[in-house]
Amino acid sequence: MSAVVHIDPKDAAPIWRQIEDGVRRLVASGALAPGAPVPSVRELARELRINPATVAKGYQRLVDAGVLLVRRGEGTFVADNPPPTTATERREELAAAARRFAALAATLGAARSETVNSIEKAWDEFAAARKGRGQ
Amino acid sequence: MNDTPTPVRLEGLNVRYGAVKAVRDLSLSVWAGSVYALLGRNGSGKSSLVRCLLGQQRAASGQIHLLGEDAWRRRTRLMRRVGVVPEEPDAPLAMTARQLAAFCSHLYPTWDDASVAERLSRFAVPRGVPFGRLSKGQKGQLMLTLALGHRPELLVLDDPTIGLDVVARREFYEELVAELADRGATVLITTHDLAAVEGIATHVGILKDGELLVDEGLEPLKARFRTLRFGPERAPAAGELRGLGALAVCKTAWGLEAVVPRFDEAVAARLQAEGDVAVAVEAMSLEEIFSAVVGNGAGGEA
Repeated sequence: MSAVVHIDPKDAAPIWRQIEDGVRRLVASGALAPGAPVPSVRELARELRINPATVAKGYQRLVDAGVLLVRRGEGTFVADNPPPTTATERREELAAAARRFAALAATLGAARSETVNSIEKAWDEFAAARKGRGQ
Repeated sequence: MNDTPTPVRLEGLNVRYGAVKAVRDLSLSVWAGSVYALLGRNGSGKSSLVRCLLGQQRAASGQIHLLGEDAWRRRTRLMRRVGVVPEEPDAPLAMTARQLAAFCSHLYPTWDDASVAERLSRFAVPRGVPFGRLSKGQKGQLMLTLALGHRPELLVLDDPTIGLDVVARREFYEELVAELADRGATVLITTHDLAAVEGIATHVGILKDGELLVDEGLEPLKARFRTLRFGPERAPAAGELRGLGALAVCKTAWGLEAVVPRFDEAVAARLQAEGDVAVAVEAMSLEEIFSAVVGNGAGGEA
């Protein structure tokens, strides 16, 4: 699997939450396609060298949310129709990233308008590049 | 849960060496299925605690229950149910891995030959080489293999990766993770390798001068500790930081840094109310929390 989940010990979120969010993101971005297998709890725990119970907790929440499904004796897979990211989730994630960006801008001494401009510019560049790739 | 005794239960443990108190009035429990990381600097009392627990040393006072029984009086019987990886790999130097495994298999009724053989192959520990000629990493791997050989109910790891290189350390933890996945054993581990144990521990104890300053779940511990960083021109007075319960306050090249052991919404709101004084609030790794707790000169409550 080329898609990977990263764990950051300095992240305020517990490790099971980082796994949950990481897998959700991989599914949302298409890096993990519907029906694709995901590593077993044992494999992922061993690879990341974390407690299997922690991985199991993250996976269980993903199963409960309908993102992953367990096929007895076969393994764990991305659901065929994983639920799309909800508006609330999107809003929360955007807000968190925006807070980090705002803190950085304030620390650099940037004005409000300059900060907003830089986001708009980045958005335009990203949109143009995406269009160029024909997506 | 109710019919299985708590694997480790210490109450009011005191250990003395002459006039020196190595462990003072210490109580802690390791619950079934948990991984308890006991942390402390050298000389903090970790080894004394472990020796008492394993019935190798008598405590001055206090109760030590191992798998529900008295750790001292029942020590011989109890050791059949506990797996131990000692700080110093310890085995007769002339014996090979094959001989050591055969020897241990006679001591334990629950010995599992197949899993021992499989683990030795996975570690690539040569079976015919005398213990004294194995590398440090191989010795550690062999000790872990032997400790797990009888499917112990409790695993006690006393600084098991000390002196091992990065690769050997990684393999050690991978094997421990696999064991947790397969059997869900209860583990008590002392270590200085905080980065590695952070992903595995469910509970953390921090010892300083024989006193247990921290004893709680890893998640709540990480949730309550934060580093606050202030710019030079905006640093609050020391009294203000004490009001927030700041543990370690230090001047850095960039300003002032403080560790708050009970960060919550109220603390955040207070900082907010006093104007944007906090330049940054950062979550902390276990290693940083440990340093803040034991490096705090005054000791006291964390």
